[in-house]
Amino acid sequence: MTTNVEIMKTKAEKAFAEHFASVSGSLPSDAVALDARQAAMSRFDELGLPHRRIESWKYTDLRNALTVDVPAVGDATAVSAADLDAALGPLAGLDTYRAVFVNGRLDEGLSTLPSMTGVEIGSSSGAPAMDDALAAESIVALNTAFVTGGLAIKIADGVAVDKPLMIVSARAGGSDLLVTTRHDVSVGTKASLTLIEAFASIGGTAGQSNALVTITIADGGRLDHTKVGATVAISDLATWRAHLGNEATYRAFQLIPGAPLARNQVFVTFDGEGSALDFATAAMGNGKDHIDSTIVVDHRAVGCTSRELFKGVLDDSARGVCQGKVIVQQIAQKTDGKQMAQALMLSEDCEFDSKPELEIYADDVVCGHGSTSAEVDPDLVFYCRSRGIPEAEAKVLLTESFVAETIDHVSSESLRDALSEIARNWLAANHTK
Amino acid sequence: MPAVQDTIDQVKEIDVDQYKYGFTTDIETDKAPKGLDESTVRFISDKKGEPEWMLEWRLQAFERWQAMAEPTWAKVNYPKIDFQDLYYYAAPKGAEGPKSLDEVDPELLRTYEKLGIPLKEQELLAGVRKQGEPSTLDGDMPEGDPGQRRVAVDAVFDSVSVVTTFKKELAKAGVIFCSMSEALREHPELVRKYLGTVVPQTDNYYAALNSAVFSDGSFVYIPEGVRCPMELSTYFRINEMNTGQFERTLIIADKGSYVSYLEGCTAPMRDENQLHAAVVELVALDDAEIKYSTVQNWYPGDKNGKGGVYNFVTKRGDCRGNSSKISWTQVETGSAITWKYPSCILRGDNSRGEFYSIAISNGYQQVDSGTKMIHLGKNTSSRIISKGIAAGFSDNTYRGLVSAHRKATNTRNFTVCDSLLIGNNCGAHTVPYIEAKNASSHFEHEATTSKISDDMLFYCRQRGLNEEEAIALVVNGFVRDVLQQLPMEFMAETQKLIGISLEGSVG
Repeated sequence: MTTNVEIMKTKAEKAFAEHFASVSGSLPSDAVALDARQAAMSRFDELGLPHRRIESWKYTDLRNALTVDVPAVGDATAVSAADLDAALGPLAGLDTYRAVFVNGRLDEGLSTLPSMTGVEIGSSSGAPAMDDALAAESIVALNTAFVTGGLAIKIADGVAVDKPLMIVSARAGGSDLLVTTRHDVSVGTKASLTLIEAFASIGGTAGQSNALVTITIADGGRLDHTKVGATVAISDLATWRAHLGNEATYRAFQLIPGAPLARNQVFVTFDGEGSALDFATAAMGNGKDHIDSTIVVDHRAVGCTSRELFKGVLDDSARGVCQGKVIVQQIAQKTDGKQMAQALMLSEDCEFDSKPELEIYADDVVCGHGSTSAEVDPDLVFYCRSRGIPEAEAKVLLTESFVAETIDHVSSESLRDALSEIARNWLAANHTK
Repeated sequence: MPAVQDTIDQVKEIDVDQYKYGFTTDIETDKAPKGLDESTVRFISDKKGEPEWMLEWRLQAFERWQAMAEPTWAKVNYPKIDFQDLYYYAAPKGAEGPKSLDEVDPELLRTYEKLGIPLKEQELLAGVRKQGEPSTLDGDMPEGDPGQRRVAVDAVFDSVSVVTTFKKELAKAGVIFCSMSEALREHPELVRKYLGTVVPQTDNYYAALNSAVFSDGSFVYIPEGVRCPMELSTYFRINEMNTGQFERTLIIADKGSYVSYLEGCTAPMRDENQLHAAVVELVALDDAEIKYSTVQNWYPGDKNGKGGVYNFVTKRGDCRGNSSKISWTQVETGSAITWKYPSCILRGDNSRGEFYSIAISNGYQQVDSGTKMIHLGKNTSSRIISKGIAAGFSDNTYRGLVSAHRKATNTRNFTVCDSLLIGNNCGAHTVPYIEAKNASSHFEHEATTSKISDDMLFYCRQRGLNEEEAIALVVNGFVRDVLQQLPMEFMAETQKLIGISLEGSVG
């Protein structure tokens, strides 16, 4: 007796299909042509929304989590510079170039793009270059189907961009929106760029967000990449796909200051020798927040170094998920890979799920991982109290320093200060018990 | 860093091609017809003279099994098993008579002798022979003689238990140690009360299959407040061709009792793959302690990966009572494929679970093993120490789960899992799942040797050992501590594995 059960499409899956059918004609064809969008949609139809039976989505069951109707695709909306700066908070004061996307479409009036030679900034177009990692992800298919805009950034060989480039993804208009963007970043040989992705909400505009960033760093190139998640109710799905050449450096940092549903997945492949990855995440959640940070690092070349650090602060019934997978292929001797996931549990009802995986086929490597979860160390609190700091304040102080360790991974000092301020603001607003 | 020569040599010594238990025994057997359907289940139940409820239970499991799909999540690859091409029951003829060694086929005794397992200890055998004479019983094995450790053995040959030693002496202490079929006849109420309460019939594909067709196994009951006077042990041997071995072990430690149980296994070298799908259930009531040790040495296949045993085992302990403790120790060297996760359900408050494992894979062996520590009670604690060593073309995966329920406050877990790769054609993988659902649970998962105990390392280095020696000493000392509690016979087999240094370990 065998039973073949046909998987029923969920309401959200059907809604995506119906929504696509009604809006596909109006989506910008210069971003992705209609037939490529349709192909992506049929791939989504095959894959369905990821669910807990799919190993890499075990702790984030989108099929269950996405129950609401798909919001309308965002359209260009006028936003004042002052409103935007207010929404950006501490990030607004940074001296950066800016590319501002409002509701998924570039607003040239608010943007200041670099005009130096060797920096080529256009619009991303066509379907993204697919590989096994991306092809398996149905949210990438959704991105291709619904994408409305994004940048194609090319830094020529040897060019060091003088100021960071901040890509702002703002949403405005008040009603829930579906905002889908894709940026393609290519850093040339011995070139360098600091990229900041900031997600902001104006007037409390919420909805869904699906962002894809593809990255290639050529030999000796360097990319400093920072993401600051939005604080307003959004389901935030983000995928980064990076390929590193020889002696390349990729330093990435993500700050997620609360999100009802966030999934940040990062795929990094070492194609060249002697490259280094440093990836850190600070996730802070309260209420019913669900924050998932998933990274897959594939060592395919000799002598590369990877470091991943996740720190989660979880309050109320928030849930933090950290999945890190380091694959060391047979050829990748002398690999040095370390990952650490730590959660600070501030309430009885929060949850932390950690899955630090190693898949190793080479014998001359140093790989390790660690994972811890616990409440604030009572000894440390006692120490603070013995020095005259009240208990509540001591806990905030200790939590702050816990988060600060991840922010230390960011190279730029002014950016570090802004990030610290965002983290402190979140803690002050949400963790005052 | 690469492994040193010492380690490589030691692993080579236990290479697949040097499997020394690969002989077969010519012995007449009773077999059930090949294949599996409801009548096979009825045949086995009938052969064992089981009560009606047991047959019903088996049939229920069989029905559910048919609707289940084979699991594919483990990191192992093997051709699809044809469950109709197996014998589900094979018993040495004459094994159903009274269980005295005199009546056991001498061929069988020679087999166990050749295996060098506890049965071979002639003193032990002598002890059994004298069991009928109560006057000499105490005399032949003086208690307190440190030179002779006494181990009661249940020997399982293909599908049935052929002999259980020291039964009478154990009975004096109130301990019930017998084969499962005997337990079903003599103590049906106990079996019925506990069977399937830890591993339900439909727990997983192989547990369901086992529930339907299990043929024998060991049954242990330690009454309240009794410290079992000797080590209990079961020795499993697959002999027949194309035979699946499906044993089921059930150990119940009543309030305040203690038992140490050992298990060993071997199989002949055959080109075909043999299937072993066992279920082990442990129940520890208030303040009870169960220590369960395994030396798994099924035939691993030849150097080209041909043949070998598929070892798909479900082992689970339930710390049902408060302050109970279950400890698993395993040395895994055999089997073509191992799929085994001895677990602890820490239900009682203040209960404790432990898992110590050394898994060594060579040739084309595939090991996917680990543990689950499920914290349900308050103040529960668990510790996981796992060492995987992969050589040749093998794959060695640690897969483990540590979870704390929302109400399991003040729980503690400490996990260390290290693996070592020897050669560049093997793989070592770690797949831990850590799920904390409340703030007061403290979970630590470590996979770097240097962090085990800096103080101890510092002490050793201060005394002139280099860091590598110091790490090996500290970690080995810890593992040795556990393994030394195995009886001598098992020690001999495991000693060479323990000596393997851990330098060059990778997470």
